Formats: sequence, C-alpha cells, structure tokens
Amino acid sequence: MSFYFAIVGTKDNPLYEAEFGTSKQGGDGVARFREEQRPMNQFIVHSSLDIIEEVQWASSTMYMKCVDRFNNLFVSCFLTAGNIKFLLLHDTKADDAIRQFFTDVYELYAKTLMNPFYEIDMKVTSIVFDSRVRGAAKKYL
Amino acid sequence: MTSAFPSLPRRPTLPSISATKSPSIYLRSSSTALVHSSVSSLNSLFANSSSIPPGSTGDEDCKSLILRAFVPHVAVHVSDDTNELAREKGFVDFKEMLRPYGEDIPGRITIRDSQGISSSYEDYGIRFVSLNDVAASGEKWETMASRIVNGSSTSEKPDSKDGVFQGGSIEEVEELVNLHMERAEELSGAGLSPGGDGPGGRSFYTLYLRRLLSALPLSPHETFPHPVACVIAISSRNTSPIETLRNLYTSGSQVSLPNYVNTDYLRYYVLVHDEDRDEIKKSNALFDQMKKHFGLHCHLLRLRSGGRAVISDDDAIVVPKTQWISAAQELTEINSKDADYGEEQPALCLPDSDATGLQTMVREMAQVSVIPFMERCVATWNDQVASRRRGLSGRFLSMSKRYFGSSSSRNSTSASNYDPLTASYHPSTPEAQMRKLADYAFLLRDWRLAHGVYELLRTDFNNDKAWKYHAGAQEMAAISLILTGTGLTSKVRADTITPMLDLSTYSYLARCSSTYSALRALLVSVELLRLRGGGAADEAAIWATRARDMLTAGSIAHALVTERVGACYSVREGVGTGAWGARKRKAAMWKMLAAGEWLDAGKLQMSRRCLDVTLEVYEGTGFGHVGEFIEVVKKHAGYTPLIDVHGGHGDGSSGEEEDEEEEEEESVEVQSEMLDAGSKRKSVIGGVVRPELLEVEANKGVDDSFVTES
Repeated sequence: MSFYFAIVGTKDNPLYEAEFGTSKQGGDGVARFREEQRPMNQFIVHSSLDIIEEVQWASSTMYMKCVDRFNNLFVSCFLTAGNIKFLLLHDTKADDAIRQFFTDVYELYAKTLMNPFYEIDMKVTSIVFDSRVRGAAKKYL
Repeated sequence: MTSAFPSLPRRPTLPSISATKSPSIYLRSSSTALVHSSVSSLNSLFANSSSIPPGSTGDEDCKSLILRAFVPHVAVHVSDDTNELAREKGFVDFKEMLRPYGEDIPGRITIRDSQGISSSYEDYGIRFVSLNDVAASGEKWETMASRIVNGSSTSEKPDSKDGVFQGGSIEEVEELVNLHMERAEELSGAGLSPGGDGPGGRSFYTLYLRRLLSALPLSPHETFPHPVACVIAISSRNTSPIETLRNLYTSGSQVSLPNYVNTDYLRYYVLVHDEDRDEIKKSNALFDQMKKHFGLHCHLLRLRSGGRAVISDDDAIVVPKTQWISAAQELTEINSKDADYGEEQPALCLPDSDATGLQTMVREMAQVSVIPFMERCVATWNDQVASRRRGLSGRFLSMSKRYFGSSSSRNSTSASNYDPLTASYHPSTPEAQMRKLADYAFLLRDWRLAHGVYELLRTDFNNDKAWKYHAGAQEMAAISLILTGTGLTSKVRADTITPMLDLSTYSYLARCSSTYSALRALLVSVELLRLRGGGAADEAAIWATRARDMLTAGSIAHALVTERVGACYSVREGVGTGAWGARKRKAAMWKMLAAGEWLDAGKLQMSRRCLDVTLEVYEGTGFGHVGEFIEVVKKHAGYTPLIDVHGGHGDGSSGEEEDEEEEEEESVEVQSEMLDAGSKRKSVIGGVVRPELLEVEANKGVDDSFVTES
C-alpha cells in the first residue's frame, strides 16, 4: 500500500506533496511507486478536482470521503474552509483512518496559515510541517 | 394490432438527444438559490442541466452513424445475364450496382410503429448483400480457433479470394485505420492537407466506429445481418424468363444458409429491361406476367445497355462510393490500387436515367415492400408470440419450465428450445422469433417495443444458459433503452443500464470469448450515452475506459479509445461562473494520456493534435512529474510551441513557460527566423510545422519532393 498526498491550492497549484507507504502490518512507511506511476498519480489527483468541484456543493462535511477512482486507485478529499483541498491517493478503502489523518493535517495547515509570513496559495516548505505530516501518516495510515 | 405498451406515450419524431430535464425548480435559479438549496436538488442540477446544445453537428453524426449501421439487409440473387449487364457497365455484379443506392435512400421513409403512429426518417437505408456471401460467411468470424482445431484453417485464405468479405475483425479495422492515418500523415507532411482528419474530413474515431459496425458478421444470436428480403432479378435478355425466375427461386431457397437463419424472407422480383437492345413492349408483357405470378413485389428496372459510362458523357453521374464496406474489403481495394502504382481508376459512372431508375427502385422496394413486410411481421409476432409469453399463462409456463422442467428431467431437451451443440435456437422456436421481432422493431426504430421484447428475452436466455443470446439481448436492451429518449436519471442508469452492459460484456468476453461483440456493445453505448450529456457522459467515459482495457495496449485502437474517453468528459459543461461540474481536467488528462499513446504507436501527428487541445489546461502546472511528462511528450512529438495563440511573441504567462519556450527555440533555430519573417505561427489543429520538415525545405528551397519521416 502506497499513498500519494497533495495539498492543492485555489488555483489548482500544489502547495505540498508527499509520498508514503503504510506503516500498518509491518510496513516500513516507504512508498513503492514505479517511476511511470508518478506522473499518473499527479494526473489522477489533478483530474479529480473536477469531481470535487461538483461534490463540494452537495457535501455537508469537509471530509468528502472517496470522491473519485481510477482503475484500482481511490482519491479521498478533505476541503478546508479556505477552499484548499487535501487529496490522498490510496489503493485500499479506509475511511476512518483517512479522516483522522486529514484532521491532523488540517490542524497543521491551520497553524501554517497563522504564520504572518505565509500567504494563501504559497508553497509549504517548512521541514517541521513535513515531518509532522509524515508523523500523522505513520500514526494512522 | 394489439399494442404492446398501451400506457406509454409515444413521440412522433426521433427522440431528441438532450436529456429530459427533471422539473427541478433550481435549474434556472440564481446563485443565491444555490446556497439554500438542498443536497438532492443540487445533485439533480448537476445531473441534468448540462445537456448538449442540439447544434453540435458532429455529435448528431455519431447517432446517425449508429442508426445507419442497423438497417435491414437485403440479399441479392440474380441470373447470370443480369450480372452480365452490370458487368458491362463496369460493376463487379448486380449487387455492387445496387449497393451504393441502398445506403442512402433519398427522401423520407415513413414507418409505422406498433402503436400505429407513422414517423418518417431522412437517414434510412438498406444494405444489399449477395445471398451466396451470406451463405458462405456463416459464423466463421468468431470461431477461428475452433476452425483451426477442426483442421480447416487452410480454407481461410481462399474465402477472401472469392470476394466474401466479412466484418467483425478488430485487427482488420485497426489495420485499415492505421493505413489511413499513415496516408494522412504523409499528406500533411507534404503540406497537402491540414492533416489529422480521416478520409473525407471525418475524425479517425468515426472511421474506426463505422468500420467496426460495417458488414456485421452473421451470427445466430442476432438477426440484424440476416436477410429480410431477397431480390431475385432477371434481365430482358433472358430467353426463358419465367423459367429462370422459378429456378432462381428454388436455387435461392436451396442455398445452404446456416440453420439459424430464417428462410421466410420476402422475395422481390425485378425485371431489368435493356433499353437499347430489347423492346419495351416485350418486357412490359413479361412484367405483367410476372405481376400475375408473383403478386405485388415486382419491379421493372429500365437500364441503358451502352457499356461503361465515362464522366465526360453529357448525362453521366458518378456513382456514390459505398460507405459501409467491411474493413477487409477496403484494405483489399487499397492494396489493389497500390499495386497499380496509384494509377487513378476512373470513377464509376452511370447515365443519369439509370441512376434515377436504380434510386427509384430501391426507394420503392423499401417503402412499398420491405418495410410493410417487416411491419406485418412485427405485428404478427407481437400478437402471436410475444403477447403469449407476456401474458399470465406465458409467465406461468416459463416459470413452471424453470422449476419443474429442470428438476424432473434434467437431461431431457424438451425443457428448453436451446440447442447447446450448435449454440443456437432454431428459427421456428418462440425464442428465436421473439429475438427476430425485437430486431425488426429495432430496425424499424420502434425502440420501445424492441426494448420490451429484449427485456423478456433476457430472462429466457439466462434460464436456458444461452450465453451469447443472453449477452446480445442485454446489449440491445441497454441500447434500445438509451434510444427511447426517456430521461436517464442516475437511478435508471445505475439500476438498469449499468448491470445490463456489465452482464453483456461479461457474457461476451468470459463465456463466449467474443471480443468483437463486447467491444461493439461498449462503443455503441458509449456514443449514445455521451450524446445524452450530463451524468450519462460520465458513465460513457467509464464504459469507454472499460473498452480501452479490452484492447491491447500500445495499439492504435487503444489510443483512439483513450482519446474518446477524453471526448466523453469534455461533453460535460459546468454551471455557474466557476463552471462547476465540468470535466475539463479529466478530459485533459485522458487526452494527454492519448498523446503519450500516440507517441508509442508512432503517430506524431495525432499526438500533436492531442497536445494542441490539452496544453492550455496544464499550462504552468505546479505538478512536477506532470510537467516532465508533458515535456517528454512534446519533445518526442516534435511539438512546436504555439506562440501566437496567446497574443504576443514569447509572452508566456509565467517565468517557467518562457524558459521552456526559449529552450524549444534553440532546438529549432533554423526555421524560427523564417517564420518570424513570414506568416504568423498560428495554431491550426494539426497544421503544426515540424522542425525536420522545415530544415529540409530550407535546404532545398521550394522543392516539394517527398519527405520521409525520420
């Protein structure tokens, strides 16, 4: 099981990207994507924005669960109040774990937003943010 | 006539392609209503509102293409002297002379449906096939493997030499499209045509679909290619006309058609009168005699005898080209043309009077004989077979057959009419008759009746484990349901169409290993669903992906279908200022994937075309790997950046883009000056200037010698 996680800004621009593998069932938390899969991951995530823009109006929660699928890959989405999308590409369904992961990341992102030097749609480059996201992934995924 | 579905309202004309709108009050509401509207109404808003404007001609084209693929087949069985007459005019035989005129019957054809309501259609046609070809083709197309097992694999080649061409081969269709594509690339490479389009300005996908649906192979599970009528013709040159007609009748009945073909078709007698050699009086007398003998279904066709007509003759008319030939036949034709070193064969011509004569004959035959005959058949079978099955007793019968028949006598065949050995029903069994009824109704465009009967058949075939029939009935039930024009709500789609298509493809693939049929079922439904727009277009895209998975990766068909997935998504239009609900990015992704696949297939022209439409979406994308992917595709496809599209020269919207353009310009330095001095670099689709080509041109000046692909 490998995951691809992206935070997408309001102009379809990725703010943060990460890949990680599962840490459950003895996984080492390292993503195992083949090289040709990497552009596909981004294509899939990018294309699922279409679906999110449609589903967001009908969803009453921020976490929209699995919104799209491509062959055996699923895309789950969490839409923040500021129209920032958290997108997770995964190959097994685990709604609850993903919800917890997203909630943690939302908290981290909200803290980033409070940084006076950070503006909306800027890339998140903080190492602390990265390590904390990876920590959340290790905890839940 | 008892009506099959009295309660259902009829539409007088063809059902419109736009999805019927549900009476949602939010449809035309402003954005303030959006905020307050409930979840369900929003769903319906997205599902229904984005129907396609009816003005898009290319889409209408697809529906018409599918409708015209399913037209009655008429067998032709003529005397030698009639064939001789056609041969003198430059045709292979009489059938070939009739065929182009049957494809597009001029004027409107009026058809009465089972409710007694007449509607007329512009685009009706009839397909002429030779009776002997029908007999020879059998079901060799999908049972190649079994034939090889039976040791008759060597007989395959002689068949095609005899001129029996059959559709139903995915490989041949692909080969043909490949050939056309190569020609188009050559042409556009030499600057002769805008390129990227198939022959006649149509897209290659349309060509692919048309050839896939051309010359439907004869098979027991569907009766579309089975002859509805048979033309029996003699010419006035014949010395013993009535005798010959009688012989033709008997020989026609004795032609060894496969067992599952119903031989109860209409006979249509034609007397071909030779204007120049024979007297009209004699022919008239003979024709009267024929009418007395054979009743109404007779026609006197008056043709001039004077050999081959040439285009320079005063009243000569070029014979239209046959559109619906099988891929194998077109391949053979192209090859034979190549063998003549491109020597242009003069187009076949007929004198004006002959052409009108043939047109009138075909039209009269269709309107006066064939269609009324089919209407009568539909009415009779609907009365006698279908209503019995539909009624209470029929239901009880089929149920008792299921519960008692199978348990008490498992090995007796009396419980089912299905013959597992030949995998077919005999034409006299009620199941076969019902299938024929449904197919006739489909051919007459009475979708509702057809759908109802297919629905009944689905369960019957399932009980009998007649898998191919089962798959066929599922396929046609889904297709006829989409064609009825009833609103396809997401519930209908999820509960009815999806399982039907699912089962159909599963049965075709897993139980009958018939890839062709499965592919046809999918692609036809994809096109029809796509035309419905809205949520149905999403579904179309999903089915198209399914079809894509069936094809071998890296092939042209694979790339074509990949591109089509994108086209399915791009049909959806969004609502509001943000165009929410559109599928712009999805369409772009599939087109971009197609661009990559075209590259793998070595079709740079097609790849560039795909890039043309997608680059806008991915312009300045922040996704690194996507950007790399696009750069690689661009480089390999020899794509030149289209500077003038966005206004000023080199005026990229972001810094990144400027860099990339500079890079590109370095690699194509030779022509950049030329182009700057010359015309604007405008992005006409497909009309992209390739660096290699320009280099050659720069060296040679205005020499339009043949440029080879590097």
